[in-house]
Amino acid sequence: MARIDLRKVSVEFPIYNVNARSFKKKFLRLATGGAVVKDANQHIVVNALKDITLTLKHGDRLGLIGHNGAGKSTMLRLLAGVYEPTSGDLRTDGHVSPMLDIMHGIETEFTGYENIMQRGTLLGLSRAEIKAQIQEIAELTGLGDYLSMPMRTYSSGMMVRLAFSISASIKPDILLIDEIFNAGDADFLEKARGRMIHLLNQSSIVVMATHSDDLITEFCNKVLLLEGGQIKYLGDPGEALRLYHN
Amino acid sequence: MSNLESVATLPEPGLLASHAEVVFPIRDQKQLAIKDLTEGFKQWRIWFMLAYQDIKIRYRRSVLGPFWITLSMAITVYSMGYLYSHLFHMELQNYFPFLVGGMLAWGFISNTITDLVETLTMEENKIKQIKLPYSLYINKVIARNFIIFVHNLPILFPILLIFHETAKINLCSLMLIPGLILFYINALSYGLTLAMIGARFRDVTQIIKSLVQVVFFVTPVMWNPEILPPAKRFIANLNPFYAFIEFIRCPLIGTMPSITSWLMVSVITLAGCYLSFKLFCRYRSRIIYWL
Repeated sequence: MARIDLRKVSVEFPIYNVNARSFKKKFLRLATGGAVVKDANQHIVVNALKDITLTLKHGDRLGLIGHNGAGKSTMLRLLAGVYEPTSGDLRTDGHVSPMLDIMHGIETEFTGYENIMQRGTLLGLSRAEIKAQIQEIAELTGLGDYLSMPMRTYSSGMMVRLAFSISASIKPDILLIDEIFNAGDADFLEKARGRMIHLLNQSSIVVMATHSDDLITEFCNKVLLLEGGQIKYLGDPGEALRLYHN
Repeated sequence: MSNLESVATLPEPGLLASHAEVVFPIRDQKQLAIKDLTEGFKQWRIWFMLAYQDIKIRYRRSVLGPFWITLSMAITVYSMGYLYSHLFHMELQNYFPFLVGGMLAWGFISNTITDLVETLTMEENKIKQIKLPYSLYINKVIARNFIIFVHNLPILFPILLIFHETAKINLCSLMLIPGLILFYINALSYGLTLAMIGARFRDVTQIIKSLVQVVFFVTPVMWNPEILPPAKRFIANLNPFYAFIEFIRCPLIGTMPSITSWLMVSVITLAGCYLSFKLFCRYRSRIIYWL
């Protein structure tokens, strides 16, 4: 059974300016006793997430809302395991599938089929598992013979179709989504939507960051409103949206 | 829609109480580092595929494909072999196999080193999108260079035919296997360190690249250490790169690496594993913030 627990989790980013990154500067600082590049080591620390306590259980669909820079993407990356908490405790049970940047891992020199293989392997599928699904993925893309062509010949819309179809074909316990309902033409969107709902229903836990109120009210049973990396509100979607828009 | 009782700005007592049952994993940096290394090894399907595709992309629209690697290397070593044997007044049949074996080994080692420094910075996008062990990317770079090395091996075949008296395939050739395993262990351990330093201090990549150039000239790759006066032999014997080159070159032309090389490689390997593991434990969780 999938489950996510966070207890007082904070994520702090040290911001390295150009000076601090240079080995020469570091050496100069050693050699000169710090006088020359005195300010080089003053890292600025950004509190991307602060004191987040949260529990998600089977069946939870959590919407993440908040203004730009509120910490939505950081939150998703934290749950994906990309960032580790600077303080606090985090536990995730279940296979996590991040759908953060769906164009990630797409190689334009490769054909559609090759990209399906590559992306599938990256997401942890075996060769046999991909083979078993390749037909289904191909149908969902609706790209037909184009799948045997290198992806550099695709239009950007076609690329998104393929990227989405591959991502949507895995069956994760925990699905993390970052704003993906804004690509492709109307025909594909209709298809993608159906597929997405199917995917959402199959996943045990879903966490999605979105700016769309419709998606929140349709899919989510919980909403986390973030502000400056802190929880402003956690709970009922209607109330969260009301607070967010005020 | 029944399970949304938790309507609160601050965590409710109820929410905290539910945490009492949850056993949070203890974040032990040492264990996380070991996990990264073992997972990175276990997911060989991913890194091998990525390594192979790197090469495929590079030569995708060319006729010879990856055999361009072989061709350009062949042109280099054959012309160097002919010219330098006359420059150094060496017997062609002694010098030619020595140089070709040495160049194959050097190409493998030096390209691996320069690629390793850039590993994490080059993979920034992937690292930020999906959680894969850091060591997986190191393994990928090593695998890519290994594939290139294997592509280069056919260059040796004409040498083995023409100079069959000084270069042969025999029992010593089997030493290539432990040689490559030792090379892998070192590439992984030093690679982790180099990649971390390269991610933290961006100008290190340039420093390493120019250092590698220098190392090429001071290491017996194209000159035989025997032409050094005996009092100056230590220049070669104390050079760790020479020991590693010997480990690959000797089996390629059917001789045994010297005891000095064995000692050197053992010391370097142990020191590298120890140091890199310490550093990796200490800084692994910071890597993501350096990218």
